[in-house]
Amino acid sequence: MLNFTLIKIFFKKLRKTLFSNSFNTIISLLLIVITYLFCLNTFKWLIYNANWEVITSNLPLYAFGSFPADERWRPAAWLISLLVLSLVTLFGPKWKWLHKNLLIAWASTIPLGLYLLYGGIGLSPIMSRHWGGLTLTILLTVCSSILSLPLGIILALCRQSSIPLIQKLSSIYIDVMRAIPLIAVLFFGQLLIPLFLPVGIEIDRVWRAIFAFTLFVSAYIAEDIRGGLQSIPNTQIEAANSLGLNQYQIIQLILIPQALRIALPALTNQSIGLFQNTSLMAILGLVELLGVGRSILANPEFIGEYIEVYVWLACVYWSVCTIMAVLARYLEKRMTINQANF
Amino acid sequence: MKQPIVIAKNLTKSYTKGLRALDNVSLTVNQGKVLVVMGPSGSGKSTLIRTFNGLETFDRGELNVLGIKIDSTHDERQIQRIRRRVGMVFQQFNLFPHLSILENITLAPINVQKRRQIDAEEYAMYLLNQMGIDSHANKYPSQLSGGEQQRVAIARALALKPELLLFDEPTSALDPERINEVLDAIRRLAEQGMTMVVVTHEVGFAKDVSDQVLFMDSGKVIEKSTPDIFFSNARHERSRKFLNQLDKHS
Repeated sequence: MLNFTLIKIFFKKLRKTLFSNSFNTIISLLLIVITYLFCLNTFKWLIYNANWEVITSNLPLYAFGSFPADERWRPAAWLISLLVLSLVTLFGPKWKWLHKNLLIAWASTIPLGLYLLYGGIGLSPIMSRHWGGLTLTILLTVCSSILSLPLGIILALCRQSSIPLIQKLSSIYIDVMRAIPLIAVLFFGQLLIPLFLPVGIEIDRVWRAIFAFTLFVSAYIAEDIRGGLQSIPNTQIEAANSLGLNQYQIIQLILIPQALRIALPALTNQSIGLFQNTSLMAILGLVELLGVGRSILANPEFIGEYIEVYVWLACVYWSVCTIMAVLARYLEKRMTINQANF
Repeated sequence: MKQPIVIAKNLTKSYTKGLRALDNVSLTVNQGKVLVVMGPSGSGKSTLIRTFNGLETFDRGELNVLGIKIDSTHDERQIQRIRRRVGMVFQQFNLFPHLSILENITLAPINVQKRRQIDAEEYAMYLLNQMGIDSHANKYPSQLSGGEQQRVAIARALALKPELLLFDEPTSALDPERINEVLDAIRRLAEQGMTMVVVTHEVGFAKDVSDQVLFMDSGKVIEKSTPDIFFSNARHERSRKFLNQLDKHS
C-alpha cells in the first residue's frame, strides 16, 4: 500500500518536472533516448566486446611493476597495510589510545614502505629500477607530499619574514616554480641533476623524481599555507606575545597549527593533484601505473587494446583518489569538530 | 617603602600625521591598587596600557614596570622579562581556537616558565575553579559563551602568576547579561589585592573597584582623581561631559 503511493508520488513528480508541456516533453524524450543509447553501447562494450584479459592476466604488473615475482609479497604487504590503516582510520573502533597512535602509524608507513621495497636487513636488496606499478605511484605521492609539506611551511614563513633578503629569495623561488610547467621540472630532475652532481655521487631515478615533485609542489603548498597564515588575526600574535612566548614558540604553537588547519582543504587538493601528476613520469621512463599500462600495450599480444587498459587505469586512479579524498574529509572533520567559529 | 608597580614618565607616541596617541602621559600605579582608565574612543587609553607590556612602542618618555625600565628603543629582552610577570586580558578574549581551554591556560606556564605539565594543569584547574568554569576544561573556546571565554582569558593571564594585570575593555564585546560574571571575577581579584590597570566604560564597576581614575582625551591625561571625586564632582568640564554621555546611554 505504502509502496504504491510512493510510486504514484514519484510519477506525479516526474510528470511535473519532465513532461509539463510539449516542449519539455520533446527535450526529455530526446535526452532519454540519447542516455539510453549511450548506456546501451557502453555496457555492450564493457560486457561483450572488451577483452579484459589484458587486465586480468597482468594484475601483478599493474600493482608491482617488474618487482621480482617471489618478492612481490613485500610491496603487497605495504599496499595492504596502507589500505588497512585507511579502513581503521575511517571505520575503526573509537578507542582513545588508537586515535592517539594513528598519526604515528601513518608516519611509520613511509619507512616501512622504503624498507620493504629496498630490502636490506633480512630482505634481499632490490634496485629501484624494478619498482613499478601502483606501488611506485603511491610511493612517489607519499614521499613527495611528506617532503614538500615542511619545505612549503618554511617557504611560507620565509615569505612572511621581516628580513628582506630571505623574503625576496623565497618569493622568487615560489614565483619561478609556479611559472614553470611541472613536466619541465621533472625533465630537469631526470636529465640535469645528474649533470650538476659531482662525479661519484648518484641519486637514483625514483629519488630524482621525488625531489623534482617536492621542489614543484612545495611552492604551491607555500602559497596555500601563506593564505592560512594571513587569515590568522593579528590579535592571536598579540595574545601570545602578552603571555611571554617568544617568536619561535608563536610560530610553532600558534601560527603553524592554525594555518595548517585553514589550509587543509587546499593541501588535500595538492596531494590529489600530485597523485595524478605522478603519471607524467611515464613519459620520463619510470614504470609507474600509467607506465605499466603503456608497456603492456607495447606487448604484441595485447596490441590495440587501448580502451580496456585506459578504462581500467582510470578506475584505479579514481579509487585511490576517492580513498584520499575521504581520508582528508575525515581529517578535516576531526580537526574542525570543536571550532565552529574561527 | 613599597616600590610602585608602574611608573610612566612623559610617555609620548605620535603617528605620522602629527596626531598624538599619547601626549606626555605620566602616572604611577602602586602595589595592590586598581587604576581605572576612562575616556572616549580614540583617546589613547588602550594604547597606554598596551605600552605597559610592550605591545605598543612609544617615541619619548620612560616606563618602569616592576622595576624593569623600557624606553623608546623598545629593548626586546627587557620587554620579554616584563611580559613574564604581567598578564593581559583583551576585549576580544583572543583565546587560541585550536587549543582546548586547559591547553590555552597551560600553554605559557609550560613553554615560558618551563613548569611541569602536571603542575601547570593542576594550577589551571584551580584557576578555572576560581572562575567557576572548571567543568569546561576540555572544551574548545568556540563552545563557550563570551562571558565564559573572557573568564578563561583571565585564568590564562593569571596562570603565569602575574604581579600586574592589564584589562583592555574586558566587557565591551560581551552581551549585557554576561558582563556581570566577568566584572565579578575582576572584583574578586581586586579584593585579593591584585594590582590592576583596567580600561573600561562600566561606571558602577569603576566606582566600586578603583583606587584611582584616569581620564584621557586625545592622548592627554585630563584628570587623575579618586573615584569619589571623579564620579560625583569631576574637576574638569571634559570629564563631566563624558560622564553625562555615559549616563544617557546606560
